[in-house]
Amino acid sequence: MTAELTTSQWHGSGNGTSGAALDLLRIVRINEEIKRVVAVAFKINIMALNAIFLAKRAGNAALGFGVLSNELRVFSKDLRESMISLTRLIHDLVAEVSVVLQESRQDALFRRTLAQCSGNPMLDSVLERRNAQHDSRAQRISGLRRSLRLAVDDAARLVELGGVLAKSAKIEAAYGAGFASSLGQVSGEFDGVVEEIRSSLEILRRSKFFGGSA
Amino acid sequence: MKTTQTIFEDGTHKWTAIVRDPAKPDYLIDTNEYLVQHAGQGLLLDPGGAEIFPAVFSALSAEFDPSKLTGIFASHQDPDIISSLALWLEFNPQMKCYISWLWESFIPHFGGTAETFVALPDEGAGISLAGLPLQAIPAHYLHSAGNLHLYDKQAKILFSGDVGAALLPPDKQGVFVEDFSSHIRHAEAFHRRWMASNEAKRQWCERASHLKIDMLCPQHGAVYQGDDVQRFINWFDELHVGVIRV
Repeated sequence: MTAELTTSQWHGSGNGTSGAALDLLRIVRINEEIKRVVAVAFKINIMALNAIFLAKRAGNAALGFGVLSNELRVFSKDLRESMISLTRLIHDLVAEVSVVLQESRQDALFRRTLAQCSGNPMLDSVLERRNAQHDSRAQRISGLRRSLRLAVDDAARLVELGGVLAKSAKIEAAYGAGFASSLGQVSGEFDGVVEEIRSSLEILRRSKFFGGSA
Repeated sequence: MKTTQTIFEDGTHKWTAIVRDPAKPDYLIDTNEYLVQHAGQGLLLDPGGAEIFPAVFSALSAEFDPSKLTGIFASHQDPDIISSLALWLEFNPQMKCYISWLWESFIPHFGGTAETFVALPDEGAGISLAGLPLQAIPAHYLHSAGNLHLYDKQAKILFSGDVGAALLPPDKQGVFVEDFSSHIRHAEAFHRRWMASNEAKRQWCERASHLKIDMLCPQHGAVYQGDDVQRFINWFDELHVGVIRV
């Protein structure tokens, strides 16, 4: 099931939370998850910087580890950029869905008006115009929703790369001679942090906003 | 649905009171809206809150083509006065909203664009409705800091916003005040609490006494007519307002 705005969701149920309000709530949750990923991405950057210093101290035995640590810094930067583009999409979605919320209240009032004086041609034409505006807004929201889903998928692919880097760092740590234990600990932390991001992105992908179950 | 009652008519010049909605939930304060018509154009005074828009619109459209509404006059900024603005503008986006300059940047939170608002100065201003001269009269601090009433010299009607308002019990729902002394009991607590300044009240009473008024039309309660108009002004003049003991 895809989570597109239906007419009834647009108008709201009249009692309880409307489709737009639920969408807004889901967008807020997605945004909270994105903030979590951004914080973790920043942590990777610091960890990678420390790992580069450690690799330098370890010398030739940790050359491969040093290269991977550099790559993890690049990964952290790419991830943050990816999250910035997700945040932009979230911002646009919040703006659009907020208007839906505001307009759905007005629609409810117009529907009550129609119930009191049906057959009023002016009222009919206002409702017709508003419906056309709703359709075009629903299309914009649908487009943003698709873009957001694609951006989350892109971020997930990026995190797969981060996972490979962390695993490779673990292997390289084993060749770290006297520094093997310290390098192993750092690479283990990388792995844990990347897992944390992967789990956040999985929550995003399963969001009901994209028709998932979370 | 609200009912309409014509309170003045002379050719195309007409005042219609839009009052009393039996279906209105009790948690919403009851309000009166007034439609001034002249030569096919209409000016709606204090159109009311968004929640009562369906009742006001359906009553008004039974009497008048809403697309011929050229303006809205808002006595002040309260939600029960003007929160329906965005809904009315759907019918005529060119419609003007006349308000005190003080609320020019506040009321757009209810809707409208920069072109919608005509900011009226503190001393009031003339408003022409298809050639009919209407006058916005200062009533600041009664109760709002930027408050205006609307006087129609030809009809001798003063739309007085919250001045003259009464919170009437269910068994006193007449459009006009029938017995001043019993009616005013329902107005006293409202005026003592809502009206902010004795000085402003004094000035308003002085100003109103110089106008020829056959009908004083408040936004809540019943319309004062004939001798009850001066009775009200005298009563208000003597009332001590703006005092709260806590």
